[in-house]
Amino acid sequence: MKLSTSEYFIREVFLSLRRNNWMSFASIGTVAVSLFVLGVFLILVLNMNRLASSLESQVQISVYLREDIEDSTRRRVEGNIQEMQGIESVKYVSKDEAMMRLKERLGDQKYLLDALGDKNPLPESIEVTVKLPEMVQTAAEAIGKMEGVEEAKYGQDVVEHLFDITRLMRIFGLVLMVLLAGATLFIISNTIRLTVFARRKEIAIMKYVGATDWFIRWPFLLEGMVLGFIGGIVAALALRSFYAAMAAKIYSTLAFFPLLPQYPFMNYVAVAIIVSGMIIGTIGSTISLKRFLQV
Amino acid sequence: MIHMRDVSKVYDDTGAVALDHVSVDIGKGEFVFIVGASGAGKSTFIRMLFREVLPSSGVLEVNGRDVVKMDRSDVPYLRRGLGVIFQDYRLLPDKTVYENVAFAMEVIEAPRRLIQRSVNSVLDVVGLRDKYKSFPSQLSGGEQQRVAIARAIVNAPAIVIADEPTGNLDPETSWDIMDIFQRINAAGTTIVMATHDKNIVDTMRRRVIAIEDGHIVRDEARGVYGYEA
Ligand SMILES: Nc1ncnc2c1ncn2[C@@H]1O[C@H](COP(=O)(O)OP(=O)(O)O)[C@@H](O)[C@H]1O
Ligand SMILES: [Mg+2]
Repeated sequence: MKLSTSEYFIREVFLSLRRNNWMSFASIGTVAVSLFVLGVFLILVLNMNRLASSLESQVQISVYLREDIEDSTRRRVEGNIQEMQGIESVKYVSKDEAMMRLKERLGDQKYLLDALGDKNPLPESIEVTVKLPEMVQTAAEAIGKMEGVEEAKYGQDVVEHLFDITRLMRIFGLVLMVLLAGATLFIISNTIRLTVFARRKEIAIMKYVGATDWFIRWPFLLEGMVLGFIGGIVAALALRSFYAAMAAKIYSTLAFFPLLPQYPFMNYVAVAIIVSGMIIGTIGSTISLKRFLQV
Repeated sequence: MIHMRDVSKVYDDTGAVALDHVSVDIGKGEFVFIVGASGAGKSTFIRMLFREVLPSSGVLEVNGRDVVKMDRSDVPYLRRGLGVIFQDYRLLPDKTVYENVAFAMEVIEAPRRLIQRSVNSVLDVVGLRDKYKSFPSQLSGGEQQRVAIARAIVNAPAIVIADEPTGNLDPETSWDIMDIFQRINAAGTTIVMATHDKNIVDTMRRRVIAIEDGHIVRDEARGVYGYEA
């Protein structure tokens, strides 16, 4: 495309964004709100999925030891577990190691632990892996009764619930997505229709002097794309704040929920949201051109 | 230049037969008037030439292109070889004289340097070089039509097609327009013009094609209007 042609297109797009300023504003707002809601669902579903699958794949039992346990008692517990049927591995996790792991999991949010100062409230534990997931439950029950053991936890039962919830959320999210996409398409295609209407004389002359269909269409497609793009950026910025706030809230209450670290995860979400905005914008203007621009 | 063989046009919506088995050939450099009463089919004839109206049947070639069989995507290229002018000028009100003419080159992606040169030169041809900054609302009807002519010829078309270009103008102004057409024609451009203007046709004595009820009833090399105006 020639330089002067691209200049022409850009000039046309900004002219008409200004000419329809309140419709443009409404379009951008609708796109932003829709994409924000979609983004929230995306974030929740991805996080729950990750949580569920990380729990599901577990053939692991976390055996938390009593605060006051003696080293000899601990070694006896380890030995007893080792002798049980169907045990794959047994690994001791010290308080320090537990803290290190938590920090790693928190990633860029590890500052949240600063409030603890030098205290380490995490218990010592033993990580036990069984050979088959079916064995988890009986093994955990047996271990839980051993002397010096505070609690033996495993993920399977939580997983079932989580999958039910994510499945529901995915269906709900999909329905919402269709509705919001519909609303967005509607408002964008109406904005473009106004533009087509405002420029109908120019379009007629362009046809008379031999402008190609694509030359005529481009500024309208670009306009839709720009509307979607700006809406996408607004939504992505809002989502970033939302995620940061959500992360702070979750870590201050349920420190063990393994939230996906904000970076790079939110960068991917932002890209996905902005690209969706542009795609929706382009489809919206295409619909309008099909109906109102007989070129 | 223009080859029409047994061309008919029936409008789908009304079923009106606007042209009925029309055959005509127009050569390079000719100056042709299309005359006839209102509703005779002149505009239909004119609009088929740049494929705003598609013939219902028959053969139509313009500038060596088959208008009937041509792909939709080739229509812009047909039109780049033609300059069209209407009774109502059809200028863009928010563009200046210069911009209105340059627009016709911009939208076919002509190089910018060429645009400036060509626009200035056609504004000279129509005598509006010093009004290049004016807006259409600041011009008389005749001046607006001259801008429209400049726009039609700026891409150096082989054929200029005009549908009643003097229809809204007084006689004196009409002659200014006809002077420009004569000069364009003298430079080798074919001109096809539908008109109601008896005075102009009778004075210029060019080829006259008369249409009545969709039929060509007369085709004379140095013809006259032949109806009461
Ligand atoms: N777009 C159209 N749809 C239906 N009928 C039309 C249309 N344009 C012209 N006609 C009919 O075709 C006939 C010829 O019209 P037209 O070519 O405009 O004649 P002229 O320009 O000589 O007045 C008329 O009967 C007119 O009503
Ligand atoms: Mg007419």
